[in-house]
Amino acid sequence: MTLDATPASTHRFRRNLARQLRIWSGVVIALVFLFPIFWMVLTSFKMPKDIFTTPPTFFFQPTIDTYVEYIWRADIPRRLLNTVIVSFGSALISIVAGGMAGYALARLRIRGAGFLGTLLLLSRGVPPIALAVPMFLVARKFGLTDKHITLILAYCTFLIPYVMWLMRGFFLALPKELEESAMIDGCSRFGAFIKIIVPIAMPGILSTLIFSVILAWEELLFALVLTNRNASTVPVAMAGIAGDTVNGANWGALTAVGTLMVVPVVIFALLVQKWLVQGLADGATKG
Amino acid sequence: MAITAMDNQTTHRRSRTRARLADFSSRWSFMLPAAIILFAVLVYPIFYTLQISFSRLDLASFTASQWVGWDNYSTVLRDDRFWQSMQVTGIYLLFALPIQMVLGFGIAYLINAPWKGRDVVRALFIIPMVVAPVVAGGVWRMILDPLWGLMNYWLGQIGIGPIDWLGTPSLAMATIVIIDTWRWTPFVILIATAALLSLPKDVFEAADIDGANWWTKLWSIALPLLLPIIAATFVVRWLGAVKMFDIVLAATLGGPGGATNVINLFIYEQAFRTLRFAESSAMAVIVLVITMVLTGAFLFGIRKLEDVQ
Repeated sequence: MTLDATPASTHRFRRNLARQLRIWSGVVIALVFLFPIFWMVLTSFKMPKDIFTTPPTFFFQPTIDTYVEYIWRADIPRRLLNTVIVSFGSALISIVAGGMAGYALARLRIRGAGFLGTLLLLSRGVPPIALAVPMFLVARKFGLTDKHITLILAYCTFLIPYVMWLMRGFFLALPKELEESAMIDGCSRFGAFIKIIVPIAMPGILSTLIFSVILAWEELLFALVLTNRNASTVPVAMAGIAGDTVNGANWGALTAVGTLMVVPVVIFALLVQKWLVQGLADGATKG
Repeated sequence: MAITAMDNQTTHRRSRTRARLADFSSRWSFMLPAAIILFAVLVYPIFYTLQISFSRLDLASFTASQWVGWDNYSTVLRDDRFWQSMQVTGIYLLFALPIQMVLGFGIAYLINAPWKGRDVVRALFIIPMVVAPVVAGGVWRMILDPLWGLMNYWLGQIGIGPIDWLGTPSLAMATIVIIDTWRWTPFVILIATAALLSLPKDVFEAADIDGANWWTKLWSIALPLLLPIIAATFVVRWLGAVKMFDIVLAATLGGPGGATNVINLFIYEQAFRTLRFAESSAMAVIVLVITMVLTGAFLFGIRKLEDVQ
């Protein structure tokens, strides 16, 4: 009897060991990936004398001096406000325009919808620099540089195709009878879209909106090219601080501004993580 | 009687045409806002770039002034720095994409075990993903600093280094790939985890009963089932990676000696630092065409893959 039980229990033991190994390697890998962010936040609360030490220190007297100093020197409040205006503005415009167009592609039997879909995916490969040069020239000609609306429209170039593609996937997955029955009840096509489809697709719409805000929030190239002072965003300040080799490495400013930039997005992303992961998977797989 | 019938028919036909027209316009009105915006900020600029690339740009008025044919293109194609930059970009893509795909799907497969903390771990992987690339470049530059950086201190403890990760020409691109991999592998892990969860469980249970080992399950069951998702994830990553700009700008600014000067950064510098708009437009058009062709090829490949399955 004992002889019988041994192989089974070793088997179970090995299975359990493998499971524990999987779980713990997952935790360890996640922590490894998080470490640079942890180090950034930690460094942002150090005084200069604690930043440049050998060995690098984990325990120190925390201070918010760097924040207080650089928030004003790098013009962060205005940049933060600009970043919020531009990222939410472009995300909202894109979700309305892209959502409607995605619905048309998915449901309205537009002639050449397949071709348009392919074109849309292709357009996501257009290098932004190919758009930044003419945009800069045109904006300069019409006195539109350094304005929020210019940057908002520039961000639409990558957000609208992205939203269209994601929303097309969401709408394709909805049952067809929904708007058909609404339209039989006398709703117009647009009425059916607003009253029936949009509420049902709300989780998808929200996750797409959040992803769009994040994409616009961290955009650098267009912001560098199209703004200089009034409408400049936080990533531009970040690039300036990181690339500043004249004044030497300014790690206090780098980590403080970096933390300010990352924390809101992380909170935002964690609040809606379930939808985010779903949207991510759909964005990559549904076609 | 006959006249009224004919009248009826024409009005009927006319109203049908009108209804069809109304139907047509109501369909396309959904496309209208996106079409207008995309035309203004995507299609028109591309054509404008094309025009500039064949012109001389008047820097006083910032407009394309004189048609010069293929002059800008031949200047660019004779520029060694352009070719070096293309090569650097190619090396980046060739290493970063496969490494991220393998690591992402590998890690997702490795840590795929049901337990109550799974959602928390998954949420943790979201965090590196939403760190702006420009922040990632700056922070890694700090960690990898040869003098005060944490990495070199740790390596020094085990007797290695100090290594000037971003300052050594032969090493700088490898370092950029590492930073990019840090930023993007969590994205692949999240997609791969979702994909693994959606795989049919009974197939694996059947394989267990048949006594299939770990490797067989991975190679003969999981991989073929995951292939479409792997391909789609690759295309999404590719579409992001060809835009590589922020991380390099923050971490190395293209240096040392152009070793990490990816094409987007090179064109940016040529356009906005040396004000060579015409030549940088020509470069942008070349990059645009190459990217479109390769993206088209990948999409075609995916469609073929789906047809086979």
